[in-house]
Amino acid sequence: MKSLSKYMLPAILIIATSYSATAQNAVEIGIGYNVGLPASSFKNDYISKPSFRGFAASLDYAFTSQWRAGISIGFNDYYQKYPRQVYNEGGGSAVSAVLSNSIQLLPVMAHVNYTLFDKGLVRPYAGLGAGANFIHFDQYLGEFDNPVSKVKFIVQGEAGVFIPLSSYSSTAIKIGAAYNFSPFNEFGTPNLNSWGLQAGIRFPLH
Amino acid sequence: MRTFGLLKLLFVILIGAFIFSSCKKDPLNNLSNEETRIYITNYDTTADFSSYKTFSVDDSAAVIQNNQYMGKILGNYETQLILQLQNMMKQSGYTLVSKSAGPDLAVNISEIISTQTGIFSYGDYWDYYDYYYDPYYWGYPGYGYYAPYFVGTYTIQTNGLEVDLLDLKNATANGNKIKGIWTGLARGEDVFNPNSAAIEIAAFFSQSPYLKTTN
Repeated sequence: MKSLSKYMLPAILIIATSYSATAQNAVEIGIGYNVGLPASSFKNDYISKPSFRGFAASLDYAFTSQWRAGISIGFNDYYQKYPRQVYNEGGGSAVSAVLSNSIQLLPVMAHVNYTLFDKGLVRPYAGLGAGANFIHFDQYLGEFDNPVSKVKFIVQGEAGVFIPLSSYSSTAIKIGAAYNFSPFNEFGTPNLNSWGLQAGIRFPLH
Repeated sequence: MRTFGLLKLLFVILIGAFIFSSCKKDPLNNLSNEETRIYITNYDTTADFSSYKTFSVDDSAAVIQNNQYMGKILGNYETQLILQLQNMMKQSGYTLVSKSAGPDLAVNISEIISTQTGIFSYGDYWDYYDYYYDPYYWGYPGYGYYAPYFVGTYTIQTNGLEVDLLDLKNATANGNKIKGIWTGLARGEDVFNPNSAAIEIAAFFSQSPYLKTTN
């Protein structure tokens, strides 16, 4: 994985910056690395550790140099192992186990994005998205698991900066953060809210 | 230009697919054999464990495979189990007596083995064999492949240790029934390993603090 990513990033940059066409009224692709940080009941009930296994990708239409709308897909794999502990089940029953939580979140959303300035070396942006969160939840007691898949609603707010790589195209580096409101309401856990820290690249598709 | 754009899209999709498929951490790969095991205990909440004073442990373990009694076994693992059970019961205040002395509690040991057998076949694999391996490579362009029907079987075995405490003291009072008042179950990897015996029994007693008496 590490050795492949060594070649992957330069390859993406070469292809992305190979265009000299203008950006407006263009379809754009964004792809980036995403670090997920559990929040709220997600953090308290299941996983407190960040997920370094994730990505975010988007397909946007640039109506103007500042307004964009499109669809996005993301993925984060969350995992945490808890030391052996005795869980009293009531009625005289007790279970001693090493507990592992494994959760994969795959949000698919429609979103709009507004860039504050259409000029400058650093261009702040803000965006909103909403869609479906495909959740795969698997809790292991020792080696015995109980996988559950759910699809829930998700709303995302995001902000960050674009750093243009070219004066003639919309190709830019994207650095930002997002907050995901993700209701869950399963197993006594109200939500799987999370923060996302993203770094990636956006480039036009002609 | 359009072709190049599609190539870029394909490139991005391939990257995404690669990341998506390779980035899930498998919890089972992060567990030692000991960590794979779970220990479950259950007791009769109406039982007064301090009312029992003496106990005896079975001299071997019963092997039960797919709900069928297969006989008794006494190997290194079972010997370790018996010794550890005797030690833990004594530490809990109970007195070890022989079976003929009429113990208050009997301790039974069962090794429960479940096997599942299935069948697999790869019919589709041979249907597309010439797609995977062009006969031209072997100097037979235009030929097809043929194979007799291949089928195989697999067996999955899961092991569990069960220890039961039986109330002999009140068997007559309970309507001539020997009542089980406590059960310990261990499942996971290496359950029947002699090195696991002490860990398993210690886990049972550690999560059953009510299992004690005073003499």
